[in-house]
Amino acid sequence: MLKVKNLHATVDGKEILRGINLEVKAGEVHAIMGPNGSGKSTLASVLAGNEKFTVTEGEVEFEGQNLLESSIEDRARMGLFLGFQYPVEIPGVTMANFMKIAVNEQRKFRGEKLLTAAEFLKLMREKAKVVELDTKLTSRAVNEGFSGGEKKKNEIFQMAMLDPKLAILDETDSGLDIDALRIVATGVTKLHTDKNATVVITHYQRLLDYIVPDYVHVLYKGRIIYTGDKSLALKLEKEGYDWLINDYKE
Amino acid sequence: MELRELIREWPCVKEQWLVAGREERPQVALDPEHLSVELTAGAEAHLVLLYTAPRTSEVKIHLAEGAALTVNLLFTAEAFTSVVIDQDATSRLQLTSVELGSANAAYTVNLRGADAESCVNGVFLTGGEEHAELAIRTNHLSADCRSRSIARGVAGGKSVGRFEGMVYVAKDAQRTDAEQQNRNLLLSEKARIETMPQLEIYADDVKCSHGATVGQMDQEAVYYMRQRGLNEVEARRLQIAGFVGDLVMHCGEQECLCGAILELMEEKLRTI
Amino acid sequence: MAEKNEKEILQDLTGEEYKYGFTTDIETELIEKGLSEEVVRLISEKKGEPEWMTERRLEAYRYWLTLEHPTWAHLDIPEIDFQDIIYYAAPKPKKQLGSMDEVDPELKRTFDKLGIPLEEQMALAGVAVDAVMDSVSVKTTFRETLKEKGIIFCSISEAIKEHPELVKKYLGSVVPYKDNFYAALNAAVFSDGSFCYIPKGVRCPMELSTYFRINAAGTGQFERTLIVADEGAYVSYLEGCTAPQRDENQLHAAVVEIVVERDAEVKYSTVQNWYPGDKEGKGGIYNFVTKRGLCRENGRLSWTQVETGSAITWKYPSCVLLGDNSVGEFYSVAMTNNFQQADTGTKMIHIGKNTRSRIVSKGISAGKSQNAYRGLVRVNPGAENARNYSQCDSLLIGDQCGAHTFPVVDCRNRTAILEHEATTSKISDDQLFYCNQRGLTTEDAVGLIVNGYAREVLAKLPMEFAVEAQKLLALQLEGSVG
Repeated sequence: MLKVKNLHATVDGKEILRGINLEVKAGEVHAIMGPNGSGKSTLASVLAGNEKFTVTEGEVEFEGQNLLESSIEDRARMGLFLGFQYPVEIPGVTMANFMKIAVNEQRKFRGEKLLTAAEFLKLMREKAKVVELDTKLTSRAVNEGFSGGEKKKNEIFQMAMLDPKLAILDETDSGLDIDALRIVATGVTKLHTDKNATVVITHYQRLLDYIVPDYVHVLYKGRIIYTGDKSLALKLEKEGYDWLINDYKE
Repeated sequence: MELRELIREWPCVKEQWLVAGREERPQVALDPEHLSVELTAGAEAHLVLLYTAPRTSEVKIHLAEGAALTVNLLFTAEAFTSVVIDQDATSRLQLTSVELGSANAAYTVNLRGADAESCVNGVFLTGGEEHAELAIRTNHLSADCRSRSIARGVAGGKSVGRFEGMVYVAKDAQRTDAEQQNRNLLLSEKARIETMPQLEIYADDVKCSHGATVGQMDQEAVYYMRQRGLNEVEARRLQIAGFVGDLVMHCGEQECLCGAILELMEEKLRTI
Repeated sequence: MAEKNEKEILQDLTGEEYKYGFTTDIETELIEKGLSEEVVRLISEKKGEPEWMTERRLEAYRYWLTLEHPTWAHLDIPEIDFQDIIYYAAPKPKKQLGSMDEVDPELKRTFDKLGIPLEEQMALAGVAVDAVMDSVSVKTTFRETLKEKGIIFCSISEAIKEHPELVKKYLGSVVPYKDNFYAALNAAVFSDGSFCYIPKGVRCPMELSTYFRINAAGTGQFERTLIVADEGAYVSYLEGCTAPQRDENQLHAAVVEIVVERDAEVKYSTVQNWYPGDKEGKGGIYNFVTKRGLCRENGRLSWTQVETGSAITWKYPSCVLLGDNSVGEFYSVAMTNNFQQADTGTKMIHIGKNTRSRIVSKGISAGKSQNAYRGLVRVNPGAENARNYSQCDSLLIGDQCGAHTFPVVDCRNRTAILEHEATTSKISDDQLFYCNQRGLTTEDAVGLIVNGYAREVLAKLPMEFAVEAQKLLALQLEGSVG
């Protein structure tokens, strides 16, 4: 589904990604871990097409197409979803209106029939249950005045609405209490099928109790320096990154 | 529903309107030159003022004790309007003004009795060579009143948008709670925004704040929306509509009216 | 805590007398009251000015005659009779001074009372002082040290004689005489002031300082200050003001011009405590000043002012951000008590690309005073990526005073981001109670809270000045607790 080859990217002339190689197949769950500043969020942003970053080298193939040549919105419509670490507040734009346009844009792109208002409302009510989102929030402006937990739930709600092929969740667990974490994580698990794939970027192993990864990658200084299975996350939690980093230096 | 169709069903007011008790249906005034509105104690009403022709207009409104009035003003032509509202104790005012292009709207709210409350929202959208002016002056003449004036402006083309706000707190108007906010978006190279959010305060136990900003669209929000599949133009349009829309979205109990005004605003935005 | 008690404290505090209210008995050379072409010529002649300067003065005077006194400020200004003012007063004898010993002892005592470290302490403090008493620059110290670096720091009269090329080039280039009523008046009759030139690439090693003092009764003071920081130069300039206590109002109409060339930086700090008038609002200085600086590429100009004095303060230290990437800053604390009035603020004119400006204004009103912030932020069409942040806070102490905010934002470039915020507040009973509970007197608590409120600005002042400013605030505040 996703093939990343030797990806290099810079921001303001500073190289953050320095040769990423990653392959994600349908049905898989990948976790990306690593110390602060290692480039985890940059990788997510670059895949989503954030124009702040410049790709200087490498290739990214998504569903057989060259991802790097597509606009941000086309990547989204192709089925790439980024769950933001800091979801933006958009005053005055209601969730319902926003999602209706987003869902229909995607359907247009796929050549599907547009949803009527009634169908859309039904879909929204259905999907809100996935993350136990208060439907009242959908009549409010996008993320405006949402609590930290509500913002993250709202990201997963949108993921449910858009039904992406590949979901990249950037620190979706940060700032959540244990209940919200459970709700968000089970939401993600519910949405997972053998047709789609999930990449979770996280600091903590606790999220991986709920979302069990097939692979755990350690990102350090812009490169994936180690890949293991879910037991690696436990080891990292206990022992930190030093053993890996030291290893890497040698 | 279209605005014209909508208001056809509502009664019209001319020159004078006296309200005692509760008026269920909104009343419409079309291009009034002089209009005086009086709400007796405890009365409730909804007034819609439409300006479709370039002319001058003077509106005087008096809210007696405990009266409540919702006013919506819509400008589709370059009218010069001055609206003066006198509020007695415990009265409530909810006013929304929308200028679609060149117009000059000046509001003066006099809070004359304790516990009176006013909320004045103003929006202007200008493009081409248009020039919109919006002035909101709130005079706190009695203690224990609350006021909120919020103005949003969007200017494109070579247009000029100008906001002049003033919160005046008289010497004995203690425990005043006043908020004044003005935010503007400049959409083009040649457009111009001028804003003067002013305070004149003669009492010490007051809570007054004001803020004004001039800026561009939030690029982060545009990126966020594009990540969800909206194209750039659409994301921008939605953001601008949201920027001014939330002032109008709940501009009265008549949802169909708010909806109709919003639609006109979106239409206008497409031309800027 | 009993209210009466607070009121009493308040009264004690407002009862504080003006500390600098003494006059100096030195012989003064005065000219006749009134203003005419002859008087302008006479001033120029007395100062031994060259012909071109006399002509400039006359040009300004003729223009001034065509103007009317402006009325737009939020100030109640009694009519000023410009024929009832003495336009020139110089301490006698007016001879060249070679050393400290030659300074009139009476004059020296005055400076001592003012606390100006004119003598040895100055060496320790590292301050070079150009002291202006009434209209003639009496003594300029540290000239030699500065001279080695090529820095010129002298009275403006001297500069006119000795550096005519610099004066011709820069005088009136930032504030032309046509700028406003008082700029025109000043250009016609300015008596003295300071001139400072920092050559290319030179960092001025010490803070330069001028003390202004109005002494003679019925005289106006019209100083003219010109500061030029040439390419890559840096200077920090301090201005302090005092005036003796007199019943009639005295007019102070100064002009300060600053030229910040490419890559240069100027910091200009003012602590103004002119005589504010008595508790009944009698007397006091009218402080009507035009201050403006012009920044070229990468230039940086920072105004810091602590205004506690004067019966009426009317001034707007401004920055014209002409060059790309230039930066303008304005930090102000304006405190008014009794019947004082202040209408002060700044203008930030963004012309170059990537220009930045920041405004922090803290107004404190007490007694029956009126305190207004007035500001303009303009972004011209060519000023791509201009940024401004303005914050204007007002603090009211007592229910007889007024606090006003009149900002204007004029934006003509869509890449600009401008923010203006303002709040108005009073010292809350909760804050006072909290402090009282911890053992502070109400008076101390108010002083503490006000100083905390003003800290952001005070922190921008050089150390010695900050201490003085803090004391002044407390002094001016005393007795204002309500």
